[in-house]
Amino acid sequence: MRYTCNIIRRRWLSAKTFELFLPKPEGFEHVAGQRLVVRMDGIEREYSIVSAPEETDLRLCIRRVENGRLSVLLASCAIGTSLQISGATGYFVYQLSTRQAVFVGTGTGIAPFRAMAASGISGFVLLHGVRETAELHYRERMAAAAAQYAACISGECPMGRGCFRGRVSDYLKSQLRPGDYDFYLCGNGQMIRDVTLLVDERFAGSRVFSERFN
Amino acid sequence: MTIYTRTGDRGKTGLLSGERITKDDIRIEAYGTVDELNSIVGALIAILPQDRHDLIKALRGVQTDLFTLGAWMSVTMDSPLENQLQTIDKSRIDDLEVHIDTLQAAMPALTHFILPGGHPTAAWAHVARSVCRRTERQAVHLYRGFPEASRASVHETILCYLNRLSDYFFVLARYFNFIQGIQDIEWAP
Repeated sequence: MRYTCNIIRRRWLSAKTFELFLPKPEGFEHVAGQRLVVRMDGIEREYSIVSAPEETDLRLCIRRVENGRLSVLLASCAIGTSLQISGATGYFVYQLSTRQAVFVGTGTGIAPFRAMAASGISGFVLLHGVRETAELHYRERMAAAAAQYAACISGECPMGRGCFRGRVSDYLKSQLRPGDYDFYLCGNGQMIRDVTLLVDERFAGSRVFSERFN
Repeated sequence: MTIYTRTGDRGKTGLLSGERITKDDIRIEAYGTVDELNSIVGALIAILPQDRHDLIKALRGVQTDLFTLGAWMSVTMDSPLENQLQTIDKSRIDDLEVHIDTLQAAMPALTHFILPGGHPTAAWAHVARSVCRRTERQAVHLYRGFPEASRASVHETILCYLNRLSDYFFVLARYFNFIQGIQDIEWAP
């Protein structure tokens, strides 16, 4: 099903990442964790929905990609610009389980987890992997909902900020106790590969759900 | 986005319900064979006269059903994800029976065992038939241990669909020979 809607707001979270607010079309339903397709000027891309189903507007968390096509347009077009969306689709949704949930997101891969937390899911372990602390979006909200929150910084990590210096896979190797978990991975393909193979090796018996961004 | 993920390089793959299992697991065999069957149906469509929209539409419908069926095989029993999957409606089995009856009515009755072959379209329909039977055997094995599963009726429909589908391919093969003026190859021991 396709809907036409106008951008109602843009909010910059950092120099490179922004939220786009769209009115939720009548009849549009989604489960926290799902994604939708945005179409504008003949270009289409999928984005995870960062807002919970209970929220009034639809919100997307988008990184402005250098030399990107749609992200550059969405970052600069006028408020009120019309675009098309379709969806929601995807199986990357929270599964109730006796196993500890471990959410692993890189960059804007935090988006579906924010939606899940906003719809009431809590008690998860969350690892957010970014290059710099400025990209730790939704940190306070996520830390409040999580049983354990780890900011994994691959670049410079200012002392005293409670960050883990290294990649999410480094954190899992050194910090996560052996056991059976439900891993939810969202972000770049390299992270998904590295963590999936690590799960096979060290946390066999765990389940892995993943959503690849690029 | 590239199609390769590299997460399967060491012989394991992930189910839709999240479990990581080895690629020789019966579940992977089963939906891998569904995929094989779907590819054969695609090959059959490719060599059909493209003005036979009726047959192409029917076979595309089969391909869609097989995709749905494969999704069911990629989740473990009673996974909450089952609630997100489309089901194969029992009416699809009725549709296959209507197709079978229509094709059979157009041909002389079968009086002998026949060998698979004849026109290339018939030969490919026989390949589809036999791979469909293999799919069915694997589905029976897969669902054998779970008679109490909450969605057992879906599994029953899947088995029934596959059983009927192989009959459809058999009749389709005969029909393809018939419209080409090629006699069925009778088995003469």
